[in-house]
Parts: sequence; structure tokens; C-alpha cells
Amino acid sequence: MGSIIGIDVGGTFTDAVLIAGTEIIKTGKIPTQSDDLLNTILNALDYLEVSKINSLEQITVSTTLVTNAILQKRLPPIELVLFPGSGMKLSSLNWPVAYRTISGELDYRGRIVAPVNQGEWQALAEDLIKDNSSPKVAIVSKFSHRNNSFEKDLAAFLKDRIPNISLALGSEWGQANFYRRSLTTYLNLACRDLAATFATQLQNALKARGCQAPVRVLKADGGVLPLTKVRPVESIYSGPAASVLGALALSNSEESYIVVDVGGTTTDIGLVLSGKPLMSSKGAQIASFLTNVRSLAVRSIPVGGDSSVLTENGKIVLADYRLGSAYCLGGTTPTPTDAMCYLGLINYGNYTRAEEALNSLLPENQQNAASRQKIAEQIIKLMTEKITQAIEQLLKEWRDEPAYKIWEVLNKPKTHKFQIQLSGGGAEGIVAALEEQLKARVIWTSLSPVSNAIGAALAKPTFSWTLNLDTYLKRYRIEETGEQGEWTGAKKPHREVENFLFDLARRQGESLGINMESLEKEPFDYFPLVEGYYTVGQIIRGSVHVPPGVIQTLAEGGK
Amino acid sequence: MKKTGIIFFPAFDWSLGETHPEREERLLYTQEQIFEEGVMDLPQIKQYTPVIGDLFDVLRTQAIFPGPEEHSLEAHLVAVGCSLVLGKALMAREIDNGFALVRPPGHHSGTIVWGNRGFCTLNNEAILVNHLRANYGIKKVAIIDTDVHHGDGTQDIFYHDPNVLCISIHQDGRTLYPGTGFTDEKGGPNAWETILNIPLVPGVGDEGFLYTLENWVLPRVQEFKPDLIINSAGQDNHFTDPLASMNVSAQGYGRITELIRPDLAVLEGGYSIQGALPYVNLAILLALAGEDYSGVIEPQKIKRQVVGGEVFRSYLKNLKKQHDMTKPAWDYRKEKFLPQGNWVYREKSIFYDTEYFQEYRQEYIRECEHCGGTVLIITQNLQTYRRGVLIRIPFEACPACCQAGYDLLEFFKAKEKIVLMQNQLKNEVHFWKDSREVRSFESKN
Ligand SMILES: [Zn+2]
Ligand SMILES: [Zn+2]
Repeated sequence: MGSIIGIDVGGTFTDAVLIAGTEIIKTGKIPTQSDDLLNTILNALDYLEVSKINSLEQITVSTTLVTNAILQKRLPPIELVLFPGSGMKLSSLNWPVAYRTISGELDYRGRIVAPVNQGEWQALAEDLIKDNSSPKVAIVSKFSHRNNSFEKDLAAFLKDRIPNISLALGSEWGQANFYRRSLTTYLNLACRDLAATFATQLQNALKARGCQAPVRVLKADGGVLPLTKVRPVESIYSGPAASVLGALALSNSEESYIVVDVGGTTTDIGLVLSGKPLMSSKGAQIASFLTNVRSLAVRSIPVGGDSSVLTENGKIVLADYRLGSAYCLGGTTPTPTDAMCYLGLINYGNYTRAEEALNSLLPENQQNAASRQKIAEQIIKLMTEKITQAIEQLLKEWRDEPAYKIWEVLNKPKTHKFQIQLSGGGAEGIVAALEEQLKARVIWTSLSPVSNAIGAALAKPTFSWTLNLDTYLKRYRIEETGEQGEWTGAKKPHREVENFLFDLARRQGESLGINMESLEKEPFDYFPLVEGYYTVGQIIRGSVHVPPGVIQTLAEGGK
Repeated sequence: MKKTGIIFFPAFDWSLGETHPEREERLLYTQEQIFEEGVMDLPQIKQYTPVIGDLFDVLRTQAIFPGPEEHSLEAHLVAVGCSLVLGKALMAREIDNGFALVRPPGHHSGTIVWGNRGFCTLNNEAILVNHLRANYGIKKVAIIDTDVHHGDGTQDIFYHDPNVLCISIHQDGRTLYPGTGFTDEKGGPNAWETILNIPLVPGVGDEGFLYTLENWVLPRVQEFKPDLIINSAGQDNHFTDPLASMNVSAQGYGRITELIRPDLAVLEGGYSIQGALPYVNLAILLALAGEDYSGVIEPQKIKRQVVGGEVFRSYLKNLKKQHDMTKPAWDYRKEKFLPQGNWVYREKSIFYDTEYFQEYRQEYIRECEHCGGTVLIITQNLQTYRRGVLIRIPFEACPACCQAGYDLLEFFKAKEKIVLMQNQLKNEVHFWKDSREVRSFESKN
């Protein structure tokens, strides 16, 4: 077996790891240059001496490229064209971007209720090229996940008239929710060029280093896809996903635990139930965009080892920002890391500077060992309290997941006994405090500081295919790929439809390089379609998926 | 902007038969519609998760005979549990109002349950109302039933309860199941005029329905001064409903919701699962959430003849006259087993259409000026000939009625095979079989 590389670009540091078989060959932490991610990744690769590795099989990166572009509003202008039909007013929801609307309406089964108006299309085409000969246009119709014909027809019409147009269709995102589908389509189109440029630059730079290994990108749902095949917006929140995968890689497969990844600026919290990461029941939100992007259920809170510690009205508070590194590491403000250093919980940092940092929080007449001890303990407690709150929120989200079937309500899992899988640079010093606060076993190993990079390196390619089939209208749709096609099978299929989905998944999965051995099936739901008092067909919903996970674990005993 | 709780439980794995109106498909398109619209992303909407309801809550309100274990209750208990989740959220002030968009329905299920009636086994709203009264100090509740069928089960449960006003607006019972709900059904001896039935002629649309609400229902509710308003939000008044003949639109349902301003709405019937439900449910939800529902328009147009205008107004005027003229006439009995006091007697038979059998029932109500009065019900399933006895000591019972309840219990638990005591005053339920107490539930507070 050859070697693999994992790189996790964090807010403060970028972790890199080189693994051969089950052995960690080299790990490292490189400062993140937030304005130059390409260079950051190349620095990490150079640190691992990528050009000298003979049998490098693959490189997996979790990057903040798309996340940062969205958060920093560095997106090119996009024209969003909507077919909203009737129903709830668009203005009822908060649209973070402008849109224009045109006529044409579909219903919930994708049947046409009101036709499109080609006169409007002509006017639209003229308007789009008024000040831009190569506009970027996202087209989304309500219920396009049931019938993509309005979107496709308009796209063809515009392409015909505007050869340089860049188009994206809402139906490429096959899940329900017109609002989220619109914003997802918008963001994905907006990030497309950025991601493509990045991919080319990275591949060229690798080539220059004599490296041929394929590059994979970690997605919000914990899966990986080849750099060239991933939809850019799906790579948001790959950092928290890396934390969860890292925990999977460092634990035994059937356990339930809470993943707590403490970085310099943020702490990510995830949940693993009997070895399976919990998926969020809603799509991810980024800035004010609610999307359809499938993601792991994670909470990110602005608390980390480098969070600034302040005094407000004589009380110690933890700010939700960072002002450089910890004082004991040459920074300018006191941080939890200084408290850890002073208490001897970590074996790095300058003790004298840590003492100074704590003194700066105390009145002059109280700058003694006892007060410093007390205030240091207080800072750690504040940090673990914030983490505990976020854990409780996430557990509540898990307990409050919606259910739509009696079976789901009756078989709702009761409580699990959770352990805590701790990871990340800022975590070592809070092991005991977190154990005390949560009354749970906290696992921390020598690999925990770089577990995110390990998670990225070992992440399994995953995919999921959710079918919606209307045998009466003879149409099938796949949520994740947006594929829509004609159903030629029976009106009331049974095994036939399961085989259909399995075959489709196998074919597409193999072309994405996914190992289909772990393909799992969810129970299919069959809805007899009744007209009058006769069954005229069925609506069938079902899904198969290769769940997120790691290709192997590196579990070792806890410290 | 109102904070609106929603619990959506379509029971996708439950039906009363593959082509039965109450089948898996019923809320499928409603789900497609509300999820596609992004309703759950409205900032004021909070979605709750379903839980299974508690038998204590059920038995406090309904007598399940011969015993709960002899019925398959899971689906119904989840619908109950969902309603209670929203009730609790309302009491905790997490929400301003809520909509339990759940299957199966409940409003045809009455005081005694020998089986399923009109697709209903447990009465979601009634169980909810009594749960809130027992646990949160709610005193007076108005239930407004806007399903096209008479809410006979709900009426049955609260017929002797002066603190629950039951108003049902429905298609005339001479033309539709369950065949009851006339203006002369006005409540028992201690609860006279807390039942109001408004049977409408087939064909009434938005205009007539809204006129009825504004001119009769709402003034009566205002006069009653309830602490809480519950809407049994059936949607079979829609002009596409296959089981009934009314002409209300999705817009009409939105306006109905706006006028009633329910604290909690609970879905009842509605069987136009493609033509009406996706749109009506959306309109109700938006109206509850204080959003503009004027864009919610069903694709079909009204084809039936609409009854409205002066014709309808004079119909309603006559109906009200009839209603006002009805005076009580009680039948007093002095059976040996009846404790001290004046006892009013009623008897009736109830048809269980799902399983096709009759229940025969005798009711004794203790006339009382101080409380709702203890109620004794002797019931028999005419298919199995099994009998059951229910003794109900009401909420805020006076000492004499309370004592009467215990006296009845002493007598019947020795004599009858199946006896249920609903002690609403003390928030306790006791179930005897063959003179042995087999189940008991007591309030934890
Ligand atoms: Zn009905
Ligand atoms: Zn009394």
C-alpha cells in the first residue's frame, strides 16, 4: 500500500499528515495564510516533502477556500431568475441576493399548472446582455426537482442567444425547498470560477513538484470527491467534517461519542452514534444563505485556545475573537492557553509570560500565586462551560430530529452513553476540566492534535442516491445528482425499483471511484396513488448510500 | 409576526386500507408543498418532533373499552402525543400558536371508544384540552370545529362540561356522515348552551362560511371568554373534497384561520389529497404565522353551484331562530344505585362505521349548580355484548358530586366486569376489571 496525505486548513494553523499503511510517517502544523490558501497548502506539502514521496496515492484537502469567499463576500455578480409560481410570497423569506421572476408554474408532482411565456424570455435575454456579454445566470423553478423542463428550456433559449453565458439550474440540486435550492444554485455558480482556478493552480504546482497523485476534496457531509468533480459549494464546512472523521479514525468503530475539536479560534462539535456520524436534518447555512448542502450535524463556536480573555466590571470573560497568538507564545493578550501553561497542563509556552498574562487580569495587590491559580482555573472553566453548552444544543438537535413515520417514533433511540473524543491544538489543556464538567470519559491521544488532517487523509469517498419515483407520471428523480428521467418499469414495482436504484448507484459510484461494497439501503416507502377508488400507480421513495467513514482506523489506547 | 409551532406527522407508514381515504398518501403532497415553499425556514416557524402520547392522558378523557390493550393504538397515540407537544410549547410560551398537522384524525371519537369511528380512534383535541386543564390551570376552552363533518366525538366528550364550548360548523347531518349535529343538541343539564351546532346546506362557499363565523360563531366565543381557542381544522369543506359538497377555497381557509385566531389548530379530515390539502394546509400555516397567504391558489376552479348571498343569509337566520327556540327538557330518574341528588337520564346508540357495529349507551348526569356534575355511563358493544361502566368526577367537582362518584364506584366495581373512573378533580384514572384494579394513573404533582 502506498502513502496518502491529509491536509486540514484551519483558521490559525494548517495540519498536515503523511500516512503509509497504518503508520503515521510525518505530521506538522503550518501557519495558515488566510489570504493565500494555495500557498498554505503548498507549504504544507513541501513540509511533508511531497516531491520525495515515491508511491503517493492521493492527497486529500479540507479547505476554507469557498467558505472564506462566501463569508468575505468575494463573489462575482450572478443573475438569479426564478419561476416562483403561486404559493407563499417570495418576500416572506429573507433573500440575501436580488432575483427576477418570470411566469410558469409547476405543481408538487411536476405537472404544469401554468405555461411559460416566451415573450418574457426574449426580454430577459436582451436585458441580461445589456451590460454584460457573458452573464452568469442561475435559473430555478419551484418544483424543478420534480420536473426540470422549465429550467432546461429557458437555459437552452438563453444559450442560443447569449453564447458566452454561464448557466446553472436549480434542478441540479434535487432536494425540496425552492428557497434553499435557489440560494444553493446561486452560490455554486458564484464559486465555480474561483474553485476551478484554484484546482488548476494546485494541480500545476503539484506537477511542478513532480507529483502525480490525484487530489480529493473533503465535503460538508464528511465524504470526499475528486477535486475536479466536487461541486464547489459542497466543500463548505469541510473543517468540522474533518474533525468528525478524525475522531472516527482514532476510535473504535461501534462507539458513540461527542467530537470536540478545539482550535485556536473556534471549537467544532460533532456527534457520532454507534460509529455513524450524525447528519444534519437540514442543509447547511453559510452567512445568510440557507442551502441544500448536506452536512454533518456540527456546531462551531467561537472559543479556542487563543480566544482573548478580558476583564469586564471586575469579572473574567472569554471574548469570541482572537488577537494573535497566546501571550506565552509571544502574543499580546492573555488567552486560555496562558492559563493552561501556568497550570502546567501543556508543555509548551513561556511560563514567565503566562504568569505576566494572568497578572494583567488581576488588580496589582492580588498578583500572587493563589490568585493566579484561581483565575487560571476560572478561565479554563469558562471555556469548558461554553463547550458544554454547545454540546447540549447539538444533543437537543439530535433528540429533536423530525420523524414522519410511526416506526421512527416508536424506535427512537433513547439515550446513548457518550464519550468525548477531544482533538485539536487547543485541547490538551482542558482534558481534566472537560471530564469534570461533563462527567464523561475524555479521550486524548498523542495523535489528537493533528486528528483533522488524519481524518481528511483517511476519509472514505461517499455518496448517496435518493430516489423519488412517480410510476403514474413515469418519471424518476435522484435528489443528490438532480438526475431526472423516464421510468419504463411497472406501475406497481417492488423489487424492481430497488434493483433499479442499486444499479444506478453502482454505475455512478464506480465512475466516481467509490468503493461500493459498503452500499447501504434505507427502507423504501411505497405510496399507492389512488384516483377515485382505484390504485393507478405508486410514488416510491427510497435511498441507498455509502455512508461517511474512514478507510481504516488508527485507534490506540487513551492517555 | 407570530411565533408558530408546527408538528408535521404524516404517518407515512399507516393507513386504514390501500384505497381508503385515510391512507399513506394523504399528506404526501402537503409535505411536498410546505417543504418546497420553505415554510420551515420562516424565522417565526418552529418545527417540533413527534412523540408517542401517554395512556393516562387518553384515559383521563376517553374510556377505551374493553381495555387499551385490545386496540391497536400506536398511530393514534403518536397523533395525540404531537398535539400535546404543541400544547406544552404553548404553555411554556415558546410559541404564540401552533398547528398539529397530523394523521390520524380524532373528532369522531367520543367519550367511549369501542373501536374506530369515522377514521378516528382517539380524540386529539379533547385529550389535549383536558391535559392543559389538568396540568396548567386552564379553566375555559372553546373548540371550533371547521371540518365539514359534525364533530360528534368532541361534542360527546364535552356534552356535560360547562367549561368547554364546542362549536361545530358542518354540512347538514341529513346529507352527510355522521348524521348528527343539529341545532337542538345544546349540551347537558349543567352545560346547557355550551354546545353549538351550525349545520349548513350543501354548496356554501367562502362568503357564507365567513359570514357564519363573523355573525354567529365569533360573538358566541367572545361571550364565553375562553382562556384558549382550539380549532379542529378539517379541510373537507374544500370545493374539491370527494366526500362532501361544500365550496370553501384555500383562501377561505386562510381567512377562517385569521378570524378564529386559534391558539392551537389540529388537522382533522380533508380527503382531496391532491386538489385541496397541499394548498389549504399551506394557507392555514401562513395565516397562523401572520404571513401573506393571498398567493396560495389551488389550480382547480369551483365547478359546483355555490350557495351564498341573500339565500344563505335567510337560511342562517332561520337556523338561528330554531336554535334559540330550543328549550331543555330533562328526563329525571331515581334508580336505586344513584346516590343522593337529581339525576338526568339520556340514552343513545352510536354507530361505528369503520368496523360496522353499534354501541348502546345510558348516561346519568348529576344535576349540580356548583360544578359540571358527576357523570355515569353504562355502555354496551352490541356486536360483542361486552359492557363497560364509566364514572367521571369532573374538573372542579363539588364535594357532593365527588362523593356521588365514589359511591357509584363502590357499587359498580363489585357488580360490573369493566369499570373506569375518570377523576378529573384529583387528576387520577383507575381501571377495574373483574373487581380488581388493573391500571391506575395518578398525577405526579
Ligand atoms: Zn371530516
Ligand atoms: Zn357538583
